[in-house]
Formats: sequence, C-alpha cells, structure tokens
Amino acid sequence: MTEVLKVEGLSAGYGPLRVIHDLDLVIKPGERVGIVGLNGHGKTTLFYAIAGLTGWQRGSILLNGEQIGRTRSQGPGRYTHQIVRKGLAIIPQGDEIFNGLTVEEHLDSGAFTPEAWRTRKQRKEAVLDLFEPLRKLMKTPVGRLSGGERRMVSIGRGLMTDAKLYLADEPSLGLAPKIGIGVMEALLAIDLKESAMFIAEQNVSLLEGRVDRIIGMHAGKLKGEASSGFSFSS
Amino acid sequence: MSEANENKEYTWINPLGVWGAKGGNYEVTSNQVSDPSDVWRKNTGYKVPTAKVGRLKHYHIWDNHNEKLWKRLRWWPTRRHLLHVKGIYNRKTLNAEKKILDRRPIYWIICMVILFIGPLLFPSSMQSSLLTAGATFGIFAAINVCWTLIIGTASIFSLATYAVVGVAAFLTSWLSINFGLPWFSLPLIGAAIGFGMGGLIALPALRLDGFYYALLTLGLNELCRVYFTTSQEFGSASGGLYGADSYLSESWSPAVQSHASYYIALMILIGALVLFRFVNGKRLGRILRMAPEKREAFAEACGVDYKRARIQIFILTSAALGLIGGLYTAHFRGVAFSIFSFDTVLLGLAMLTIGGIGKAEGAILGTLVVVFLDRVMIEWGPMRHFLIGALMLASVLWLNNGYFGIKQQFNAWRDKKRGEWRSTRTEKGGEALPEEATEIDDKDDLYFRRYDKMQRDYLKTLITPEIIAEHMAKPLGQHSEALERVLLYFRRAKMEDKYALHRVGPDGPFKIIAFSGVRGVSPRVVEDKEYPTEEAGYHGVFMRRVHDLLES
Amino acid sequence: MDLTFLITNAVIVACIYGLIAVAVSITWSSLGLINLGYGFVFSFAGYGAYLVSERISEHPVLVIAAAILSGALAGILICLVVFIPLHDKQNFTTRGMIATLAISLIGSQSLLMYFGPRAKALPELFGFWKVEIGGLVLTSDKIGIVVCSVIMLVGVVLWMRSSRRGLEIRAMMMNPHAASIVGIGIRSTGIYVMAMTGAMAGLAAALLSQTYYVSPFGGLTPLIKGVSIALCGGLGSVQGAVIAAIILGFTEAATSRFLGGQYVLITQFLVIISILIIRPRGISGLLDKAREQ
Repeated sequence: MTEVLKVEGLSAGYGPLRVIHDLDLVIKPGERVGIVGLNGHGKTTLFYAIAGLTGWQRGSILLNGEQIGRTRSQGPGRYTHQIVRKGLAIIPQGDEIFNGLTVEEHLDSGAFTPEAWRTRKQRKEAVLDLFEPLRKLMKTPVGRLSGGERRMVSIGRGLMTDAKLYLADEPSLGLAPKIGIGVMEALLAIDLKESAMFIAEQNVSLLEGRVDRIIGMHAGKLKGEASSGFSFSS
Repeated sequence: MSEANENKEYTWINPLGVWGAKGGNYEVTSNQVSDPSDVWRKNTGYKVPTAKVGRLKHYHIWDNHNEKLWKRLRWWPTRRHLLHVKGIYNRKTLNAEKKILDRRPIYWIICMVILFIGPLLFPSSMQSSLLTAGATFGIFAAINVCWTLIIGTASIFSLATYAVVGVAAFLTSWLSINFGLPWFSLPLIGAAIGFGMGGLIALPALRLDGFYYALLTLGLNELCRVYFTTSQEFGSASGGLYGADSYLSESWSPAVQSHASYYIALMILIGALVLFRFVNGKRLGRILRMAPEKREAFAEACGVDYKRARIQIFILTSAALGLIGGLYTAHFRGVAFSIFSFDTVLLGLAMLTIGGIGKAEGAILGTLVVVFLDRVMIEWGPMRHFLIGALMLASVLWLNNGYFGIKQQFNAWRDKKRGEWRSTRTEKGGEALPEEATEIDDKDDLYFRRYDKMQRDYLKTLITPEIIAEHMAKPLGQHSEALERVLLYFRRAKMEDKYALHRVGPDGPFKIIAFSGVRGVSPRVVEDKEYPTEEAGYHGVFMRRVHDLLES
Repeated sequence: MDLTFLITNAVIVACIYGLIAVAVSITWSSLGLINLGYGFVFSFAGYGAYLVSERISEHPVLVIAAAILSGALAGILICLVVFIPLHDKQNFTTRGMIATLAISLIGSQSLLMYFGPRAKALPELFGFWKVEIGGLVLTSDKIGIVVCSVIMLVGVVLWMRSSRRGLEIRAMMMNPHAASIVGIGIRSTGIYVMAMTGAMAGLAAALLSQTYYVSPFGGLTPLIKGVSIALCGGLGSVQGAVIAAIILGFTEAATSRFLGGQYVLITQFLVIISILIIRPRGISGLLDKAREQ
C-alpha cells in the first residue's frame, strides 16, 4: 500500500529566506496526524509547500505515489490547482472564502472533479449531516456568516471531493474556544477510509488523544518523532 | 581513523585518584575520544563542486585629487556636489580613492552633446529628413517628459496629455490666424489654456482613482478629436489648421530653417528636462516619493498632503504642456487633427513604455526609437506601426519598467536566484556562507565562525549518555577526556547569553539565569524550574548547554 | 411618436454598447485585466464575418456565428499573449492595459496590411421587413439587434449563474488565491472568460455592422463607448453596465434628436463625468477594493 504522503528532503522558503530545512515525513492511509509548533516555525509553509504555494521549493513530495513536488521557483500558486485536483483538500488558515457566493455555491465550488460535480447533491447532504447549523443557511452569502460558520463552510468545501489528503491549517484559529472545539470535533469525526488527515494546530490540548500521532515542528524541522537516537528524558 | 566517530566505551580512571581527588570521580565509564583533526580534515578537504562567489567590480575607482576624501567639485558658491562621489580609503594601500556613485549626469551631458552635434553627423543624403525628424523628436520628447511627470511623479494615469497639447495648439493657431497674434504670444496663451484645462481635468482626479481616471481621460481625448474634426472654425475640411505665425522666417533658406527648427526643438526639450528636474527632484517630487501607490493612507497619516501635491504637479505640467502646444503652433505654423487621434495616444504610450514609465531618460529614449521608426523609416509603410506595437508589447511583457529598468530588474532577479540557491545549497550552522563572506569586512570573524562550527561538529560526536551520567554524578572535579573537552568548550562561551546559577534563598534553591552580555543590563531568568542543590543546578546548566549545542 | 422613436433608438444603442460594456466589466472583475484590445476583437470579428459572407454563404446565422467565433478566437489570442504571461507579474494592471493597447495597435495594423484601408460591408442580416405595434414602426434590423443582444446577455448571465465554469469564474472574481486552493486554475479560467467576452464583442461587431462598415480601426469608437459605459456602471457589475448602457443610450438618442449628432460625445461625456463624480466607482461598482490587491 502506498503512503498517502511521502515527503523527502523538502526545503522551501520565500526568496532568500529558507523556512523548511530538509524535511522528511510519511503519512499512511487512514492516519490522522497532528503537527504542532509555534508561530513562524514553518507549519503553514509546510502545507503551502505541499500545495505548491511557496516562493521556491525543492525535494520530492509524493501524493499517493504521484510526484507533486519539484524544484521550482517561478512563484507561488502556479500548479496549485493541478495538485489540488490530484486529491488534496486544503482547509486554509483564516478565511480564504468567496464573500459573494452563497453557502451552497460555496460547497459546489469545492466539488471540482467531474465525478464529485455529478454527485454533488449527495455530497452536500453528507456535509450538512456533519455541520447541521449550515442547513438553514444554504442561501445566505458567506460574507454574512459568523467566524465559526465560515470555518464550517471552509471545511465542508474541503470535504466535497474524495481527497486523498486533507490539510487543515489551524482550524481553531481565531474562534472562541468552545466553537473551536466543536469545529475540531467535526473535523476529527470525518470518516477517512483510505485517505489521511494532516492538521496543524498551536493548541496541543485540542489534538491530544484524538489523533494517531503528533509531530512537533521547530525552526523548519520536525521534532518529537525524529529518531535522533538520544533523548534527554533522564 | 576510519572508526573515528564510533564511540567506544571504556572505563576511565581518574589519574588524580591516586592522591585522593576531592570531589571528582575515581572510576567511570566514558567513551573513547576520537581524533579532533578528523573534522578539520573533512572540512578543509578539497570538495570538487565549488561555487563562484562575490561580485564583479563593475565601477571604476578613481584616484583622489589629494589626501582629503571630502575634496570634490562643487557648485559655486554652494556646498552642493556636481557629482555624487564617495571617498574611500583603499583597504590594502590606504590610499585615498573615490568612487562615482551616480554617473547619470555624465551620461546626460554626453547624450546632449551628441544631440547638439547631431546635424554634423547625419549623412548628407538624409540630412533634411533627419533634421525634420529631430525637430519632431525634440517636441514630442518634451511632451513625453511632461507626461512622465504626470504618470510617474504624480501617479495620475492621465491619457489626455496630447489632448491638452492639441487644444492649446488649435486655439493658439486659430487666434493667430484670425487675430494675427505674433508667435511669441502663442506659448503664453497656450500656457494659460493648458493651465485652465489642467484645472478642469484635475477635478475628477480628486475623486476617481487609477484606471477609472485613465479611461475617462481616454474618453476626453476622443471627445476633443470629435469636436475639433467636426467643427467648421477649426478647418474640418483641410485636415488641420495652418497659417499661424512662426518664429521660422519664410525668407530663410530651407537648410537654415531646418537647422533652426532642430535646435529650437532641442531647447524646448531641455526646458522640459529642467522642469522635470525641478519638480521631480525638489519638494513636490519628494513629497510624492513619500506617498507611493498603495501607501497613500500611511503618508497621509504622517501629514503628507499628497493629493494637493499631485494636483499641483498636474496643473503645473498642464500649463507646461499648453506652452509646448503654443510652441508647436509657432513651430509648425499650425496643427493637424492627428494630434488627437487614438494612434497618437498609443504611440505616446509606446514611447513611455519602451523607455520605462517614470523616468525622464526613459521618455526620451522611447521617443527617439518611436520617432525614428515612425518618421525616418517611412518606406516601411504600415510595418512601422506594427513594429512599434511589437516593441511596446515586448517591453511590457518582459520588462518591469522598460529599457531603463532592465538593470534593476536583472539585479533583483539575480539576487532572488542567488538567495534561493544560497538557501537551498548550504546548511547553516553558524558558519558564514561563501556569499556572505565576501561582504564581511573582518575576515578574522569568518575564520572564527568556521573553526567554531568545526569544533561544535566534533563535540557533538562526544556527547553520549555516559558523559551525561558522569556529569550528573560529579559536576565538579577532574572528568574523563570526553567530558572535559565538552566542558572546556562550554566555559569558553561568550558572556552574551551565558548561563549562570542564581541563588534564590540563602541556602538555595537555585535558578538558571542568562547574562545579557551588556553592562548594566540585568540577566534574565531562563526557566522557572528550581534546583534544590548547587550540584543539581550545575547539571541543569550543563544540560541546557548540551541542548543548545545539539540544536546549533 | 417622438418619445417612442427616442426610446427605440436608445434601446438599440444600449444593446450594442451594453454587450461590450458587460464584456469589459466581466474581464476586469474576474481577471483584473482592463482589456482595451476589444477594438481589435471588434474589427477582427467583423472581418471574420465578412470573410464568411464573402467566401461561404450570406446566411445570417452563419455570418453571426462566424462573428461570434472569430471574436472568441481573438479573445483567446489576447488571453494567451497578454493575460497568461503577465498575470503574476508585478504592476499587472498597468502592464496588462498597455499590453492590450499594444495588441490593438498591432492587430489593427495587421488587418490594415491584409485587408487594405477600404471599409467592407456585411450583408443585411435580418432582411427588410417591418412590424407595426400600436403606431410604432419597427424595422427588422432593430428587432434583430435587440433580440440577438438580449439573448446573448441573458445567456451569459444564466451561464455565469448556473454552470460550473460560471461558478469558477465567479469564485475567481471574489478571491483568486482561494480559488486556486479549491482547484480552479487561473489560466484555464482566463481562457474561458476571454473567449466568452470576445464572443460578446464579436456579436456586437456583427450587429453594429448593420449600421456602420467593417474597417481596421472601426473598433475604436465602440471600445471607447463600451469602456465608458462599463466605467459608469461600475467595473465588475453586470447590472450596473446594463443600467449605464440604457442611460447613455438614451442620452445619445436624445442628443442626436434635439441638439445634433456632433454633440453626442460631449453630452455623453458630461453625463459620465457627473455620474462618476457623484459615485466614483460607478452606479453599482464594488465598494471595497477587492480587485486592487
């Protein structure tokens, strides 16, 4: 069985700034992996590198055995839509949202593969089962929703296709703690089947005990899992 | 030394133990110390792929006139320099030298001299056509320099420049024909008309921004075209209005006339350049440089009234454009409708774009190229405009800011690529990168950083659970060689951020603090953890240092 | 009688220029490109229709289809040459505008070189019949123009509302960065948008050729009028463009009726300036600076 995500020797950054240093990472099917670390240590950049949104990057990234990483520096976002179409669902940090579209159109826009577009009715139902509060807001423009509802829309949009890898970048950021927990619960309740989920979070307590493993990130390198062959526990 | 980095366990026996070492261990398991010169060899060894670093010296360094660096040419009687010169002492010879930082004044003077002796260089077969084209070039370059002031300095994207010139030219020639006004009054009347029109066009600029304004002025241009071409007074039948008074006397021979018109056009151009210099380089230009696009709100918050400055420049330049319009009439004895046509706007925009928007030299170079193609290569037919369009498209597609932006764009691109390469290629552990190294003056610092990195690489191999256990057992006293090497390195650290123990009560507990490294600045507490005994505190400091070492 | 005549004229003018205005508006709001190359698209489509009517058949449907297709082709050409290389460069708006102007210069010159300066006439597309409704005589071309452009406009609006590509285009209008995250490619969407808007300009060219001739530089006036209407309506808003088209069409018809044809541009311009001074972003322009990153 191929790994959902296999990153080897990834370095990425913006201009002269190098944010990620020679990073290796493997995520297996059905896994929920949390990544924790402080601001500015490269969590979001790692996600952006997977989506091809960094200034430059090099190293190999295999998404379900398909090469989506390459050495490139033509600027961010050039191949993102192609990578996304290979089976990546991104739940971005903050509100990357289309203010004028209604919730329904918003969910539709997430169903970009032909197959998902055909079955979008069922898929919307499935998303609404997960996020009940959205059901009565289907015709409301997204710009009028509250922060928690927007985040639900954003997550729901990510769930509209059969992604192989879900990237959730700080899903609780900027939300009231209670709503943040609710959003996180909903996110973790998703039935992954063969796919995997990768969640970045600053608040470790939200993840602990709910994900399969937690990786720490510090200064562009992974900590905690890496076998440095030496521990300071003594 | 093949197994240098393998830590073989062995039992270390304290050589001082015979005399009963106080406080130290007597016998402890430690690891064999590998040869430190391995790291040295590995780092100093010749590795085949070497990247070229540093940059070419692309400027000439002149000898100084004498020993004083500050001696240079000045505008008498002020203290202002003729050229932007930097005096330096040569690092090796300590001779005084100077470097011309801004060589543009020299290039300007060379180009102006070439333009002035131009008629002597023209081939005699094309003398007359080149002189006519040269006169057109002078006037259009003057217009474009003014336009650059509007688009570049005032960042008002107005496309109505030729409309202002055209209206002034038409009205002055109409006045001159119908009322017999002499030629010297035409520029003044033109300036007044331009001033009025500038005020009128500037009004919407207060409300509209950017492209709304551009499209509006494009519409205004079209409006003027339609109005003048259809109205009877302005000669809708003859394709223009001709017969105005001119400073070029009809009684002169054609050669004299064309030479005179060439030099007068050049004088107009120089006048426009002087205006550019005094608007762009003085108060108004500087105010607007504080308020670049998208940062206007910030500038406004700092008390810069950028709108007022923009409108002032716009009206001033419009008056200048009106003046040029009056001179245009006086020069060509009238004006044709083509000045309002969309093609003229397009060609003007091509002139600005090819050279680079916002720079006087760009406007002039672009005008030169376009006028040459348009007026001299007449036998090419419609191909000329095709070529001009292609040049314009190419410069917009590939150049950020026209011809005169190439250098800057290339440098930015090179720096970006260099930064990317640098950061992908090297792993940075305190050692200076080769590219940085060329820019650090104190080479001792480089050697120290390099040596320090090697030493840390070596010491990292020594840190094992054994020596940590050894240190925990007895933080003080004689230690095994491996631990001793590590501790010696730690003790030699700089005062900045050096760890120390702080005794909280008279008998403990202890806390770890770090010195600021600056006199008078008190140390900071590193962690809240308290250590019951001094020994535990020593070990805590040791562990922190080990951690830092492994991190670096 | 006078009033009805005025209204019919206003509606016809509004229909033709409204098509271009809506095209300009959609291009601006979805791609961030001020396309001043519609003058070229316009002439190109006109010549495409002319070639078909000359070489193949004068059947109106064929001629209109040829105009629409060649307009879409010219739109795709502009997209490939200008939008795709430039869209991620700095100063894109200014450079894009200048590049489309350059395209229009090059394009008109090539048309001039190929077809010569003489204007060409298209065949009558809608025949010569008249309808009388309540004392109002409507000629065939007037009805044809109105029907065609309304069909096109409604079609475009419906397509934008309901289809998947329309959804993608609208998503890209709102937030290009988020669009790439949900798998919408800026380049491919750009091609759809430019083809669609080009087709609208092409149709406008075929309709306008019923009154004017097809010439290399004939696209200039429609372009300037279309752009002014788009401005007036607020860049990025379809209904604003339609309202502005009706207002300006009415101004044009009223001016030429009461003051004379040469004052049309002046009154129109005054109307545009006064609208823009009251509402600097047009009648229903986007109030936030969503498109001015």
